[in-house]
Amino acid sequence: MASNPKSLGNRVGSLQCDNTTLHLLKANDFVANAIRERLKNVCVINVCSSPGSGKTTLMQETGKRLGKDLKISVLVGDPETDRDAVRMKEVGLNALQIVTGGMCHIEAQMILQALDHIDLEDTDLLFIENVGNLLCPSAFDLGEDYRVTLLATTEGDDKPKKYPRMFLTSELMLVSKADLLPYVPFTVENVTKDAREVNPNIEVLTISTTNGEGIDQWCEWLKERVKAKKANEAE
Amino acid sequence: MHELSIVKDIFSTLEEHYEAKVEDIQKIQVTAGLLSNVQPVLIQNAFDAFIADNLIYRDMELEVVVNDIIAHCHSCDKDFKVEYHRFVCECGTPSTDIVQGNELYISKVIFKQSL
Ligand SMILES: Nc1nc2c(ncn2[C@@H]2O[C@H](COP(=O)(O)OP(=O)(O)O)[C@@H](O)[C@H]2O)c(=O)[nH]1
Ligand SMILES: [Mg+2]
Ligand SMILES: [Zn+2]
Repeated sequence: MASNPKSLGNRVGSLQCDNTTLHLLKANDFVANAIRERLKNVCVINVCSSPGSGKTTLMQETGKRLGKDLKISVLVGDPETDRDAVRMKEVGLNALQIVTGGMCHIEAQMILQALDHIDLEDTDLLFIENVGNLLCPSAFDLGEDYRVTLLATTEGDDKPKKYPRMFLTSELMLVSKADLLPYVPFTVENVTKDAREVNPNIEVLTISTTNGEGIDQWCEWLKERVKAKKANEAE
Repeated sequence: MHELSIVKDIFSTLEEHYEAKVEDIQKIQVTAGLLSNVQPVLIQNAFDAFIADNLIYRDMELEVVVNDIIAHCHSCDKDFKVEYHRFVCECGTPSTDIVQGNELYISKVIFKQSL
């Protein structure tokens, strides 16, 4: 019966003001850490971008290239449909759609629930394709090891400063659709400078799934991270 | 936008922390760092929509305080304010050591006059 004796002691007519620090959205961090505990052997990558920057296409391409060497699973967030998961399954990826019901981001709780419905036995690499949005997903830790943000050359090279938290919390920025560079007012130099002013540690890689540029390096980057995760766990 | 999730979280946090006393709350203050991606207007609207549907909270007020982004420079060993999203100290050293700006919390709770 530990209720609130404090208020009983108040003088009549006095206002009681409580200065506190009650953190919000903490439940998400708690669940994210539970996911991290559970996926100790799996390298988890949270893939973010605006809608249409090429996340699904990149997952498909990655599946084709690395599918023989690594077991890759994908959780795909989509506000309404399961189209992306279907596209991934077509190339043999173990994919599950998380329909967010119109929500603009994935929360850790959705991932935790999805883990019970996808076979992660022997999975080396788990991609989470986040909902297309550079704003809201940045605030939600999903228990990932790395956050990778795609920025297509068609989106303009001023985005890192407009969405600083996303780039601040990403380990790698993939400049996608590099094949379109000759046709758009976008330079990799400008976007890299902008991104590094927000996050000096961010790695930048230029890729195109259309002409294959940078995809080998991307695959190498992934293989190293998977290896590092397993080595870390074996210790 | 996830303003409604934040508003729901505000009320579940208050209920958990203050239990039955939540009904006596007159006003709350939420502090949001500029990096928390919270838009004061949007959260105010979501809050108003939420209390309109919840009788016991109908008279509650919300104030949102926005915090600047402050980072720590390890070269100068001092804090600096991040302006125009340039996370670089005036000495030229970049820093992602965020001292202030990511936070999102209920910073003040004011209760109605007790009887
Ligand atoms: N030119 C070009 N188009 C691409 C590239 N990668 C993806 N696309 C196209 O961009 C559109 C959106 O791609 P998608 O993978 O669905 O993006 P998502 O919304 O981020 O998953 C599709 O029409 C793709 O064919 C690329 O490297 N170059
Ligand atoms: Mg997609
Ligand atoms: Zn300095």
